[in-house]
Amino acid sequence: MTGIPYSEALANYQSSAKRDLPESDIATDELLRAFHPDYREGSLVPLQVGPNQGDKCHRELASLLQADARIDEADLAGATIVETDVLVIGGGGAGCAAALMAEQAGARVIMATKLRLGDSNTVMAEGGIQASIEKGDTPQMHLDDTLKAGHHRGDRKLVSQMVMDAPDVIRWLIQQGMQFDLDKFGDLMTRRAGGTSADRVVYYRDYTGLEMMRALRESVRNSKIDVWDYSPVVELMSSESGHCAGAVISNLKDCSYVLIEARSVILATGGIGRMHLNGFPTSNHFGATGDGLVLAYRLGAQLRDLDSFQYHPTGLAYPQHLAGTLITEGVRSAGAHLLNGMGERFVDELKTRDHVSAAILKECAEGRGVRVDENTAGVWLDTPGVERKNPGILEERLPKLVELGKKCGINPAEMPLLVYPTLHYQNGGVVIDEDGQSTVPGLYCVGEVSGGIHGRNRIMGNALLEIISFGRQAGIKAAEMSHGRGHKKVTIGHLSKLRRELAVAGMPMDVKGPMLFPECAKFEKDADYEGFRRKK
Amino acid sequence: MTDKHDMSEVDEKLVNVTIDGKAITAPGSLSAIQALWHAGYPRIKSVGCLEGVCGSCRVLVRREGNSEVKTQLGCQTLIEEGMQVMFLVFPRPTHHTYKLENINSSWEVQTKFHKIFPEASHCRECGGCNASCPKGIDVMRGVALADKGRFREAGELFVECVMCDLCLTACPELIAPNHVGLFSRRVTAYFHTRPSNLIRRLEGLQRGKFQIAEE
Repeated sequence: MTGIPYSEALANYQSSAKRDLPESDIATDELLRAFHPDYREGSLVPLQVGPNQGDKCHRELASLLQADARIDEADLAGATIVETDVLVIGGGGAGCAAALMAEQAGARVIMATKLRLGDSNTVMAEGGIQASIEKGDTPQMHLDDTLKAGHHRGDRKLVSQMVMDAPDVIRWLIQQGMQFDLDKFGDLMTRRAGGTSADRVVYYRDYTGLEMMRALRESVRNSKIDVWDYSPVVELMSSESGHCAGAVISNLKDCSYVLIEARSVILATGGIGRMHLNGFPTSNHFGATGDGLVLAYRLGAQLRDLDSFQYHPTGLAYPQHLAGTLITEGVRSAGAHLLNGMGERFVDELKTRDHVSAAILKECAEGRGVRVDENTAGVWLDTPGVERKNPGILEERLPKLVELGKKCGINPAEMPLLVYPTLHYQNGGVVIDEDGQSTVPGLYCVGEVSGGIHGRNRIMGNALLEIISFGRQAGIKAAEMSHGRGHKKVTIGHLSKLRRELAVAGMPMDVKGPMLFPECAKFEKDADYEGFRRKK
Repeated sequence: MTDKHDMSEVDEKLVNVTIDGKAITAPGSLSAIQALWHAGYPRIKSVGCLEGVCGSCRVLVRREGNSEVKTQLGCQTLIEEGMQVMFLVFPRPTHHTYKLENINSSWEVQTKFHKIFPEASHCRECGGCNASCPKGIDVMRGVALADKGRFREAGELFVECVMCDLCLTACPELIAPNHVGLFSRRVTAYFHTRPSNLIRRLEGLQRGKFQIAEE
């Protein structure tokens, strides 16, 4: 990494008084093409098998979408079969919202989660959740901002439904016992997301996701929903009529497989950060390995925008063991500037995330970043500047940032933090309709695993909105299906077709999917999940 | 500050620790979980956000030359020479159950609270909850405030709570203090969060005041 050495850059930061934004001469499109990781040469390949054959897809994701299954028929001999109405896969915000609504509608619900209930990206979300509630703001403006920030690639129908539902989502969350930051009159406080036209993000400090997950987890725990933890799904099952009709669970506690037969299945498995696309660090949870995409694709579900990922502009760049940790956009929303190694601003900090990230990568690539060592560079996030303008704001509104500072040995009120883009979100995903149903009947996909809402770039606060809005809707619809007759001949028969196609296309059969756990954990099928036995 | 950042070489110094009885040598810049992986142990259980907010990775920690055992989060615990780390199993879920919908009005909250959490009044102020909390929350005071019906104030103390259940494990009276804290927060929202800007917008939506233009 080239750039300005840390101590020199720090001196520049301290001496630099001017904080004016220089005129930019580069258009967003041009900037993205030159510096955004999505456009990196060699990172995309065409898919060779499956419903999206011929579509461009990120190389590492493609290898998993076209991987062999982890199991075959023989593994399931003698496996226990359990029956339910609705199977929810994933224990984050989307899964909880779906499960709660399905249960409320009278369905028997099993929630299978790879780790524990609530272990998800939801719990780590910081910035907030979008809902047009302020005077002068409208759902229409929310829709326009969402589509524009997504480079007009989002699905208008889905976004319309979501923005109209947003205020009711906030009401529902309050009824689950979630708190929000309120002003002295008890009104919801709002902040502005980058690339939007109104203050529309409601929040709880920079712990919005934690507060949401605490409330939802407690709601689920106090319901009749049957939660199976440490139970990753390794394969979906379908009926003779082609409906998704259940899943194969790998029970980590006793290394056995269990078949759950369900009238309908809701996939809420989240994103892909732990695939570390393009070698980037990630802000994501340990479990964010894109399992849902692989499971749905194999069963024949159409996916979309597999070449578009979000790199959040402000991941912590240093120290090493915390690299990639998210610093909320709320910090920039509160007025924090980004400064290069010369102590100068170089981008409008409240542009969309793709634009700001590309601008940071440009500064670093062109030698104006702050260089720490061979592998580490970044730019300053001027948190002291925010504190100066608004004394006390860091402690009061951004406590998680202050905590993070402590871990780095830095007081963000006095010292800027070094940041670098971090792999944050999968913009695309499984194609869904307004009920969250995929192109496979009976298979609902909600939250980050689904695609179409964010186009090619997501704005702050729309992810937390999406998971609850579509989670609730899918939960209701999935429960309706439980009144019908059960499915017949529920099998993993789709795997023989998959294997045939893989063989014809000459794909390597040594890659197995879904990934389940990040490489760093060195997990394998026969490994003890408590990790007491060392891998040979 | 600058010095701190020029310490990358020092960070790479190897340290010897014992994790779950396994002797491990790993760079001092790693957390207890990372050190376990570094040494080739494929641990999945009790691993979560790796950022200190999910509460999964509960560990007991003893530092060299100190007999005191502390409870911490494994992802937030950087290994040190001579450190001993032991992962804790998750306790059985608390026996306290309730539904917010079953509390008919805010006048009833205190009575319901004492029915749902009868043990909260038995707090013997042993301080075990406070000592066990990896977030430094004054848990014991929170329980006392909730017991007096001061739910808003009690809930405020639990802002940083990650529901790791360490206080639940520590409490000899089975109070489940973190759930008391969460109950306090939830009833405050459920009964008292009534933002006029949100309610006005919901009313407008209901009256059909806001429509999305056809493309």
